[in-house]
Amino acid sequence: MKKLLFSAVIAGLTLVSCSSDDSLGPEGENNNEIPETYNFERDGMSTVDYNGQTTRLQMTAEILSNFNDFDNASEELLLNMFANENSPFVNASLNESSKSVKSKVAASSLYFSTNTVESAEIKNDFESFIIGQMTTVKENKDQLAEAGIAGQIADGERVRYVNEKGLEYNQAFAKGLIGALLLDQIANNYLSQAVLDEGDNRANNDAGITEEGKSYTTMEHKWDEAYGYLYGDPSIPTADPNSVLNESDDHLLFSYLGQVDEDEDFTGIAEETFQAFKAGRAAIVAGDYVERDEQVAIIRENLSTVIAVRAVHYLMGGKDAIEAGNYGKAFHELSEAYGFVYSLRFTNNPVINEPYLLAEDQARIEEQLLAGQGFWDVSPLTLYSISGEIDSRFEFSREEAAE
Amino acid sequence: MKITRILIIACLVLAACSTEEDGSGTTGGGNSEENFDRGAMLVNWADNIILPSYENFNSETQKLEELTQAFVQNPGDSEMTSLKAQFRSTYVAFQTVSMFDIGQAEQLNFRSFLNTYPLDADAVDSKIASGTYDLALPSSYDEQGFPAMDYLLYGLGSSKEENLAKYASGENAEDYKAYLLDVAERINSLTAEVTASWKGDYRNTFVENTGSSSNGSVDRLSNKYVMYFEKFLRSGKIGFPSGAITGTPSPINVEAYYAEDLSKELYLQALRSSEDFFTGAHFGNTNSGKSYKAYLEALDRGDLANDILAQFDAISSVSTNLDASLRDQVETNNTLMLEAHDELQKEVVLLKLDMLQALSISVDYVDSDGD
Repeated sequence: MKKLLFSAVIAGLTLVSCSSDDSLGPEGENNNEIPETYNFERDGMSTVDYNGQTTRLQMTAEILSNFNDFDNASEELLLNMFANENSPFVNASLNESSKSVKSKVAASSLYFSTNTVESAEIKNDFESFIIGQMTTVKENKDQLAEAGIAGQIADGERVRYVNEKGLEYNQAFAKGLIGALLLDQIANNYLSQAVLDEGDNRANNDAGITEEGKSYTTMEHKWDEAYGYLYGDPSIPTADPNSVLNESDDHLLFSYLGQVDEDEDFTGIAEETFQAFKAGRAAIVAGDYVERDEQVAIIRENLSTVIAVRAVHYLMGGKDAIEAGNYGKAFHELSEAYGFVYSLRFTNNPVINEPYLLAEDQARIEEQLLAGQGFWDVSPLTLYSISGEIDSRFEFSREEAAE
Repeated sequence: MKITRILIIACLVLAACSTEEDGSGTTGGGNSEENFDRGAMLVNWADNIILPSYENFNSETQKLEELTQAFVQNPGDSEMTSLKAQFRSTYVAFQTVSMFDIGQAEQLNFRSFLNTYPLDADAVDSKIASGTYDLALPSSYDEQGFPAMDYLLYGLGSSKEENLAKYASGENAEDYKAYLLDVAERINSLTAEVTASWKGDYRNTFVENTGSSSNGSVDRLSNKYVMYFEKFLRSGKIGFPSGAITGTPSPINVEAYYAEDLSKELYLQALRSSEDFFTGAHFGNTNSGKSYKAYLEALDRGDLANDILAQFDAISSVSTNLDASLRDQVETNNTLMLEAHDELQKEVVLLKLDMLQALSISVDYVDSDGD
């Protein structure tokens, strides 16, 4: 215990020293001006805009707030919200939007532009979570869950609604979407060279040619759209998002970036990520695309790590709870784990520009989790070894993630 | 959240320092724990406090079931009076065990089934009317236990007579009686199960788990104890009703809302039981044994033990002025409730930050669960 904590201190120190190196580096190497906050202007006007991302995050939040409302929500309503059809949202401005959550699920340029078969399967998965919730689980909402039977189960003071294998569909949906929508769009779409450098983007950016009627160049805007998927919840201030770290209303990627940052083994990851977003954006303003892509690599690695740490964290938590005979707690942890494992397929290892965990590995792990009676009979050893398989692809250990 | 973070940092600093200091030191917990027998403390907790408290409470729940049985067989005024008296003493006795959310109590979600309030009275009404319900469902936490009995004995009409008439002559009298009896039986059967586990194997499991890891009995029950004090005593009994946290007083959040003049007594018993557990006072007699007070003294932190005891006194002295009905208190002079809350909060800081740190126990719970 003491030893672990001690190494945590060292890890913390190392992280701190790394990040100060990073912020010193660019200043020394070139003359990009990195502002204190995420504040960029042209001719006195802000060039930062990501309202489309905020819209999708709000849509997601409204879907999730209805997911367990068996009395008022329905399969039809949730599917309509997912696709934004038939004015399903209470927030009327969302209904007027041409955007939807579904259209951007598994839709990145890098992973899915020529992979629409898998993209369609993934969109189907999210619809199947909705359908399962509003049929199987809803029908059994007033029954105690048992192996093979959906229903409710106590998790301390809280009630969890699970399917016949112990899976909470709302967790699968929410945590899966962190990867399939947010991380995929950030790491594999807006920060990919294919998107940042599309068409004449570089030439226009170099010449300062802005989009028609806008204050930003296309490349600047693409970068900000990536920024918006992480920091776009209305409760997060654009200029200084970490001022509300662990205190915002966000329940998606920004929330988990904060929770991982709170673990002393990973302290500094939120600051480093924010610095990379700022430095990369400043590099675009300066036309320094080598520097930009170095920052992309940091963002891809850090956000992928957040997903993996939470996957392992919940797998280990589920293991402990099963060993303690606490199934309600275990199922909740494992449902979170399931969603984060689902999200691993959308991570991006910047060294190879591929997921840290390939789709086929992710599918195999999910099969292990849900085999037979699912969470009712998954063994602690299985959870421990899956945690090991995941951590072996990253720079952290399962013990560090478990805390 | 913030507080946990400070603690973690504090622990890190401490851990780093102590590693340097006792470079050649012994394995295990360092010099501090050698002076104190944690196993003896666990034995004192189990044999002299927890089990006797449960045995006493179980004998109360047994009587509660019997008197409910007698009342539904003959729903008269004197039967109702006896039942109410028993309800009150049982609810008070519950305050002596509520903090021990470990072992079978934790497995069964004992506290959630027995005392989740405010009650969902509308749901109780509709379940009584429909006659179909399953009290084993966790979604019915707030439709049973003591809060449901409080409602069924005191809240079913504008007068005592009206309330009694629901059982004696009302058109759904049979349904009311059935629900009341089901609630009383469930309180008793869950309590019997937990008590039996302490009389059986769990006692040894508990006292033999002397390790200082986060899974050891001392760490686990200490977390439960401090969490109880923070969430159930400070917030549940005083904080939520007074709106100390939200800024808006909320009388419906008072414990024993319908019985009205019972809430202060429940609160004071909970406070007393918390202090007794801190000092190691045996249940039902004037002896005492090892607990946090002795542990802190063994670690040369008698100063902290004294601060904690002085703070218990400060809470008691502000609390004696409260109205017997905290519901009235909230509605007439909420300031006194807020003052009590402030004193309770000071104790939370002493217990959660200072004491747990002194005992090298890390906090394993967070205040809110966002998802």
